[in-house]
Amino acid sequence: MITRNSLNLTRRGFMKLGGTAAAVAASLESRRLVAMEQSLGGKDFSAVTGAERQAVPYTCLACNIEDGGVAFVENGRIVKLEGNMDHPNTRGKLCAKGNAGYLHVYDPDRIMTPLQRTGKRGEGKWKRISYDEAATILAAKLRQVIDRSEREGDPAIRNEIVFKWGRNRTGGAVSRFMHALGSNTMVNHTNICESSKKVGLEPSWGPDIESCDWANTKYIINFGSNVLETAYFMNPNAQRLVDGVVANKAKLVSFDVRLSNTAGYSDEWYAPFPGTDGAIALAMAHVIMNEGLYDADFVRDWTNVTAEQLIAHLKPYTPEFAEEESGVPARDIRRIAREFATTKPATTFSYRGPCKHLWGAYQEAAIHMLNVITGNVETKGGYCLPRGMGWPQPEPNPPAGKVPSVLAKPPLYPLASHAVSTNVPYMIMKGEAKVSVWMSYYDNPVYAYPSSHLWKDFLTDESHVPFYVSFSPYMSETTELADLIIPDVTYLERHDPESMPSGLYPCLSIRQPVIKPLGGTQEFRQTLIDVIRKVDPDEALGVRKYFAFDTVEDWMRAHFDNIPGLKEAGGWNALKEKGVWPIYGKVDQETAKLVDRNGNEVEAEYGLHRKRLSASEIADAEIDVQGTIRKNGHAIGVSINGRGHVGFGTGSRKIEIYKEGWREYGFNPMPVYKRLASREKKPDELVLTTYKVNVHTQSRTSSLKVLAELYHKNPAWMNPGTAAARDITDGDLIRVTSPLGYIVTRAHVTEGIHPEVIAISTACGHDAYGRLAQLKHREADPEYALGGDPDVTHNVWWDDKGVHPNPIIRLAVDPIGGSQGWYDTVVSVTKAEPGDMYGDVRVSTEQAMKDYDETLRYAYTGDLHRAAHKEVDVDWDNLPKPALSVGH
Amino acid sequence: MDLSQNTVSPARGGATKCEEAAVSPAGGHGARAAECDALAGLYRFLGRCLEEEVDADFLALLTGPLRPALTEIGLVLDDSLVQSDAAAFLASTAEEFTALFVAPGAVSPYRSVFEKGRNFQEPCDEAIAAYRQAGLEFQNRYSGEFPDHVGVMLGFVGWLAEREAESLGVADEVAADAWRVRRETFLLEQLGPWAPGWCRRARILAQHAFYRQVLELTERVLWHDLQALADRRRFKELERLNRRAPVRLDYDADFRKASGL
Ligand code: SF4
Repeated sequence: MITRNSLNLTRRGFMKLGGTAAAVAASLESRRLVAMEQSLGGKDFSAVTGAERQAVPYTCLACNIEDGGVAFVENGRIVKLEGNMDHPNTRGKLCAKGNAGYLHVYDPDRIMTPLQRTGKRGEGKWKRISYDEAATILAAKLRQVIDRSEREGDPAIRNEIVFKWGRNRTGGAVSRFMHALGSNTMVNHTNICESSKKVGLEPSWGPDIESCDWANTKYIINFGSNVLETAYFMNPNAQRLVDGVVANKAKLVSFDVRLSNTAGYSDEWYAPFPGTDGAIALAMAHVIMNEGLYDADFVRDWTNVTAEQLIAHLKPYTPEFAEEESGVPARDIRRIAREFATTKPATTFSYRGPCKHLWGAYQEAAIHMLNVITGNVETKGGYCLPRGMGWPQPEPNPPAGKVPSVLAKPPLYPLASHAVSTNVPYMIMKGEAKVSVWMSYYDNPVYAYPSSHLWKDFLTDESHVPFYVSFSPYMSETTELADLIIPDVTYLERHDPESMPSGLYPCLSIRQPVIKPLGGTQEFRQTLIDVIRKVDPDEALGVRKYFAFDTVEDWMRAHFDNIPGLKEAGGWNALKEKGVWPIYGKVDQETAKLVDRNGNEVEAEYGLHRKRLSASEIADAEIDVQGTIRKNGHAIGVSINGRGHVGFGTGSRKIEIYKEGWREYGFNPMPVYKRLASREKKPDELVLTTYKVNVHTQSRTSSLKVLAELYHKNPAWMNPGTAAARDITDGDLIRVTSPLGYIVTRAHVTEGIHPEVIAISTACGHDAYGRLAQLKHREADPEYALGGDPDVTHNVWWDDKGVHPNPIIRLAVDPIGGSQGWYDTVVSVTKAEPGDMYGDVRVSTEQAMKDYDETLRYAYTGDLHRAAHKEVDVDWDNLPKPALSVGH
Repeated sequence: MDLSQNTVSPARGGATKCEEAAVSPAGGHGARAAECDALAGLYRFLGRCLEEEVDADFLALLTGPLRPALTEIGLVLDDSLVQSDAAAFLASTAEEFTALFVAPGAVSPYRSVFEKGRNFQEPCDEAIAAYRQAGLEFQNRYSGEFPDHVGVMLGFVGWLAEREAESLGVADEVAADAWRVRRETFLLEQLGPWAPGWCRRARILAQHAFYRQVLELTERVLWHDLQALADRRRFKELERLNRRAPVRLDYDADFRKASGL
């Protein structure tokens, strides 16, 4: 027995014991104390009291990826946000924007009460009014239009009610509202986003986006996407891309005119000339087909072309041709094509780089084809279909308006399924459509659109827009011009149904108020209910019934309480508790993979197109010569080797590399490369491109202190050789001039940019959006903050808010996909001239109108369209007549 | 009231400090109660001016019963404007109220914004606690209104003074003293550190004479009372706080954690 006396209480003894114990430390470790990260996620505690904070799940809308989040609330105040561990695609992680989003809620420059204009439009004079008064004013304006339409017996008049959004995640609320009013004039923002990507994909295989299986792939070709920082599904995609590259040793090859962080993280980066990705993709396809590296079975069974047809079509697109166009060496194109075709599984990803050009849809279709011919579609580690989930609309649901809207579905762009919102003001200014009431939601075209000054002129002019109401909670460049502001709450105080195909696990999620709307503010959905009740107070119009929800929450219940599976799990209440459904499993702390109770990975489902049709589905169906199975006139699947599969969401249920619908309007039915005007620029000119950064959205986040601190100025990236040729050095004041006019900014001289490109980021140079975005506090008063905002006063150490490039970017519309050609503006760049001041912007509205006329020449009825598509076998004199069709 | 005087130089002592009247040999409860009533009226007036827009009823008071007293302290309404077109006066003050205190870019009238840079922070809790202790609840009339609004807080000081007067009216000196302590504490702790400085800032930016005058009056009343209440050291501290470019948020443990640092 050891007694106290027997202990050797000397330092030497202690140390010896310590040394010995250290050797076996692992087995002595406390089993009660675990590494902090292992307990992180889903819980949080007050730093002051130690009490557990209330955790409320929600869906992020700081940007459009719709990640799952959890808000931690203490004393009724949001104190922190983090990713929802139950969301299968977010897996507990938010990006910087998502983390900072709660600052939107408490921003002193947030609009928290309805404001009615008292001065001239845009003068900044307001009177505060109540939500009820505001709803009354709007309802009266809407009712005037409806009454006139009734009086004159002309339902088309109702289309003078316009609803324009930049971001509409209301799950059908806006359509319900507009259809109840009898208007089809809903104008989205998609053509300034990725619409030509969507239109390149939809006729090819159905959906408008791909969902790469990044984590399980071995080879990725990234065309013009900055997926680690921005791009679609950025946060989930970035996580899985890192999983793929780090854990699965996948190779990443990036094509981007600029060394983005994604390009920098890649194994290989190539900077092609802007708008030539399509030539590279076609050349790769040329190599793969001609060298027999293609998946013959897949091409034969699942596409509407033969290998021989493809080889013939791709003949001119040699790697040497692509090198000539893009500047990327033919030997590299050849090698990458071979690697891509022989490394399994592999996938491409593409975003705005290729598609934001005139004819961007061709480029996307060409990139898509690489996955098809290599048989990587819907394979584990390959290029998969997106997986989303739907939810029903509460009944009764109003029918669409009676008359198609020329603004929502412009007849000159019949293939642009996501419309052409950039053209709307031009069409109205030219008298092609009329507006009585203009409503806007999450929309800031006066900042975010090409030739943004044109929008300012348009919205300022009461002869074009007699009444304008904004639902924005922020005083953006556009909302400043409103007659009435009925502020929505922020995304953390609001209800919305959600489902985003941001990963391979389909799920539903929700937004719910994580705190009561601050200061008695009112969510947009309630405003819609109130307005409709005032438009139809006695139910004489018969539209009140579409908004017969006692509360906004009842509206949500009507969406979610009866979905099979979810209903049994608790419906809306289950979603309120977890924020997402279904719950697939847990995030493994070691691997970050989703695992089930036994620790086994929850496998995603692959091969969706191969799902078999049931006997009852096939009964009475017919199979055509191409193998398409049709029932009651609808294609329901495709027959392969005598078996019926569901196939893809196209007319033939196969992947349609050949698009007959394109040919009808004189476009090439196959993926082709068309040389852009910018490719013919003079040697001393540059192509202006823009890009997003990892801590900002296009426009909304500049008011968030922690994000603005990270990124607030946007000097123009220029290659050293390009700069030297103009005697420009890093930091110099420069003039960037397009046919629209010029801006004065500064140069950032870097090797990380194509020598014939100048790149300027978005998110800077605001003229509105609160005092932080504008750095107003400094201009007005150096001594102290005007509004007494201590953080603004003291932690704002920067005095440069950047310069916004959009005023000099020309309108240029892809005649197929409808996308704005953001990267087609040719500029000259010089040192600033005497008298030039940083931030100067001088632009012409007249030139913007000329650009509109010019871009219409590329539409399918235009002379330049015909000149550029001589190869197309179509009766040019008898193209379909421009026709109205019901959009939305 | 000298409107050209931009800096505050409060005199020692003053008629608004009703407890001083209580100790005056000639006073007694009646005089102290009267002083408290006057104090209540003054703060309620200031609160009303800043809490919401001038409406027809308030304008009638301004141009009617309150007019002589206002004129005496130099707050002179523009007769021609008020009398010829009350509606225009109401519209122009409403517009100014919105620009100065409500719309984005306003001089936010909330202590939370002044102290923390954001709406609805801990100063709100402190204001709510004080209201509750006194048996009151804050209820907004328009959206976007919070308990730590300078106008509401000034009105609360007036309300406390009124309770004090009431207690004196029924000779309950213990209760009266309790109300006095509450009032003084609230004034010193929740308005003292920022409200006079805020008034100065808002006045500089006000474009409407009515608000310039009201803000100057409020600032001076506050300084006057604060000086009477605070000892020398505390008063110096208040002067410093009101001069301050407000506190710096240089470390936020939660943000670091959320960022994974
Ligand atoms: S990417 Fe960031 S901002 Fe966008 S939804 Fe996800 S967390 Fe929110």
